[in-house]
Amino acid sequence: MATTSPAAPRPKSKSSSLLSTLFSRPLTLYVSAFLLRLVLLLYGLWQDANSPLKYTDIDYLVFTDAARFVSRGESPYTRETYRYTPILAWLLLPTTWTAGAQWGPLAVKVINVAWFSFGKVLFAAADLVAGWLIEEVLVMGKDFPSSSAAQGKEKDTDEKKEGGRKGPSETASTGMDPSRARAFAAIWLLNPMVATISTRGSSEGLLGVLVMALLWAILSRRITLAGLLLGFSVHFKIYPFIYAPAIVWWMDQERLSGVRAGGGGGGGGGGGQKKTSSSFRKKFTSFLTLPRLLLAFTSLATFLSLNFLMYRLYGHPFLQETYLHHVTRIDHRHNFSPYNTQLYLSSASVLSPSHSAGAAAAAAAAAAEPKSKIESLAFLPQLVLSTILIPLTLAKKDLPTSLLAQTFAFVTFNKVCTSQYFLWYLVLLPLYLPRSSFWTSKRMGLVALGLWVLGQGLWLQQAYELEFLGRSTFLPGLWMASLGFFVVNCWILGVIVGDGGR
Amino acid sequence: MRERITFIQKQGDSIEPTTLKIKGGVLNGPEIQAAREDRLTIAIDELPKDLQALLGTAHELHIRYVSSQPYEAITPLLARLPPGFHLFYTPAGQADATYPALFLALNQLFGGVQCENPEKSFTTLPRDRFSHSAAYQFYQPSVDLSPFIALAKEKLCSSSKDQSCAARADRLTNASSLDISYDAISHAVKLTATWPYQKQEVHATSRPQTRTEVGVLNSDRPGHLEPHELGISGLLTVLGQDKKPSATMFAFASRHRDAESSFSAEFLEPTGLHPTLQLRLESSKPPIEDAYCSPHAYFTLPKTIFADRHQLSDDLFLASKNLTGLRYISQPVDLEAPEYVEKRWGSSLLLELSPPKHEESRSWTAQVPLHLRYLSPAEGGYTDIQVPYPAVFWACAAEEGTKFPNNPFEKANLGYDGLFGPRTVFWHVEPRPTIGNRLSNMIKVPVLDTNKAEWVSGGTGLAVLLGFAWIMWKLFGVLSKSGYQNQPLQAAEVVKAKKNQ
Repeated sequence: MATTSPAAPRPKSKSSSLLSTLFSRPLTLYVSAFLLRLVLLLYGLWQDANSPLKYTDIDYLVFTDAARFVSRGESPYTRETYRYTPILAWLLLPTTWTAGAQWGPLAVKVINVAWFSFGKVLFAAADLVAGWLIEEVLVMGKDFPSSSAAQGKEKDTDEKKEGGRKGPSETASTGMDPSRARAFAAIWLLNPMVATISTRGSSEGLLGVLVMALLWAILSRRITLAGLLLGFSVHFKIYPFIYAPAIVWWMDQERLSGVRAGGGGGGGGGGGQKKTSSSFRKKFTSFLTLPRLLLAFTSLATFLSLNFLMYRLYGHPFLQETYLHHVTRIDHRHNFSPYNTQLYLSSASVLSPSHSAGAAAAAAAAAAEPKSKIESLAFLPQLVLSTILIPLTLAKKDLPTSLLAQTFAFVTFNKVCTSQYFLWYLVLLPLYLPRSSFWTSKRMGLVALGLWVLGQGLWLQQAYELEFLGRSTFLPGLWMASLGFFVVNCWILGVIVGDGGR
Repeated sequence: MRERITFIQKQGDSIEPTTLKIKGGVLNGPEIQAAREDRLTIAIDELPKDLQALLGTAHELHIRYVSSQPYEAITPLLARLPPGFHLFYTPAGQADATYPALFLALNQLFGGVQCENPEKSFTTLPRDRFSHSAAYQFYQPSVDLSPFIALAKEKLCSSSKDQSCAARADRLTNASSLDISYDAISHAVKLTATWPYQKQEVHATSRPQTRTEVGVLNSDRPGHLEPHELGISGLLTVLGQDKKPSATMFAFASRHRDAESSFSAEFLEPTGLHPTLQLRLESSKPPIEDAYCSPHAYFTLPKTIFADRHQLSDDLFLASKNLTGLRYISQPVDLEAPEYVEKRWGSSLLLELSPPKHEESRSWTAQVPLHLRYLSPAEGGYTDIQVPYPAVFWACAAEEGTKFPNNPFEKANLGYDGLFGPRTVFWHVEPRPTIGNRLSNMIKVPVLDTNKAEWVSGGTGLAVLLGFAWIMWKLFGVLSKSGYQNQPLQAAEVVKAKKNQ
């Protein structure tokens, strides 16, 4: 079951001197972000040791069990419900380490607990690095309108060709003032929801740092690194594949320093005039720039070689648990997705022959077959928006906002949606917020935040009645609540899209 | 074919031998308060051909039906199982080759066996530690005995006019348990039915080609009884052979004993989707003083409900529920699948309970956290499921060197006995429900209400379409206003183009 937390940013008043000292120097912000996680981590250890109700996320026990299997030379997929890349289990191998007998009994206990917490430390550290990258990207301010640009200031494109991110005039015109950047990075760094999720041992923080590093790498023209990160993160959690079309589309020749002679236009103008076949071919060949090919090659090579390696090591269970499971899964326990009720209904009508005679049930199942098509159609709006239309429209104008909108669309239209998925877009929010309508109109921002929280709250109330009181709230309560939350998300996404096009 | 009919009274309730009248293969006696056990041993070549063929493929087959009516156990009929239909099976050769025949036979013998595909429905039992357990297990909470009763009448009653034989078969409906046991070594099938302790007339009739032995017994404590032994005395008669009953007294080692206390099981309210079954045990004292004893509960949970072994691995959590640990759970248990896609019958698990450490005995509780699967949508939004009582017993270690040879009332292959060492003695705690008169609890499971589902498809589709359209509209707005290019870039292109001219 999903849980809610206060997630979205709160507008910070400039007059607050406490806040300005917090953000004026990097040390204070990062130390407080670190302390927040340290306190939560220690509190979690205390709660785990003293209460039957555990702070640690069940997923963390799955990861660490899988790591234990790996440490014994077995497959991580021996642990049921381990649905991740083996790399995660490898990363968490230190959680299986134990102290030697030469230490005293108390020391052994402390060392063992410390090793077991290694994963949480890793995830929390990933949070901090992701936060630092947010600041870096905001200060870099390249290739996307800064908050000042949103007010109508245009930048000189010729300067873009000068690769280096510290061009003085550039930072002045588009980059953000570091302390202001830190204030926005704090939305991620000091967010209690983010800190709680990673210190409870959920691996979403790793995705945050991977995605932010990918964006940072591509904005600073480190194409090979970006390819490696893209391939790796898709291997890790599939969904970052939606970023590939946006990044490729964004990689105009003009934007990248290695410009080849000849091809003048990027990917074709907004209103093309001469549309002959030769110009189409020309456009196509000019689209296939060296950096684009390099990115495609490095990311595909990384993705495929990792998968090949894992398949060689762990065989079919790797494919089944990491990838195929997501296609075939029918464990539709209630979640935020608008499709949830429909999926419960159709999965049961197709797959419940157990009580009737075999032949009759088979016939009934065959008759119900077309119904299950709704499930396969559910991919369509999700993928059309997140991999084609949003990147096509927004990527060249504002890459971070495009990535945010794509992720938002992917999560909102997904067949399964839990609150951990919100982290996927939350990490990108600080990059978009400074020049968003939600920031310019604080009232609108508060309304959006309020509706987003309210939508979850209504859903959670219905889910609580179902899960703990045993009331049949599937219809209409839970269904309406998930549709309501979906509508709120769609409205927010629409505003983000509009902002990205400014 | 051999038949053994045993009436068992409590200690001190013996009858006078003269009250038993034996005349021409018929035994008549007084009305007594007793439990009854009928055992029919049939050699495999006396069976119908199709059953012979089926059993030829089995190495071991035990079908155990236990009534959900609570009953008082009488020494020596003490072994208990959760109520329902249990099957333990070891194939002689390749399992998948024998499954179709087994499946067919099961459906001929019993009504409502929900086992479409034994290969997927059965769970495997651990065979590494003690080889005396069967390979596969199957269970369901209830079964229809009427096909079996009809078959028994057809095959066992000499003619359709034999009213008493038919009546006897019909009485199986009220049996507290029915066992059908076969193993390849003995080459015989044993049918054993027991009836609860109640007032009944001592009566038995011999049947042709059958050696019928009738015992009117009671538990006893002869002076030479060892602590691990049970004593029995009474009267034995072989019909058509003996003119009068002969007195008997014997003692034997038994792995199943009576703990002489009771327990009840109820779900804590509200049950929600994660119900907690609370076991309330009358006594916190082990049944014997000078042995290591520990209380256990053995569950056979239908697939609608399951325990999460990962949840049951944390010591603090377990201690808060008065549990010591999960000693066994059948593998695998899918933690996510809805009931309607789950093929396995369910799961069996053995929990060690943690009684309070007090000097004097007192009643205490243990809580078992369980989880419901999603069930198929249904009219009204709720589906009732039945969760059977567990078998609760104290497992005590017998002294070093104690042997438990087969005894005349022995029951092995109960699902849990194979999980313990060979010197373990099971002291059974009697299930005694406080509410109702069934050894099972009902849960009202919330499901999707099909009466309200009419609008789900259309409503979901419409909402998604509207959301999608709104975002498309915004995208279109952006495209029509400024295209998909970076604005400043386009401006620069224009400048460049002018320069080139």
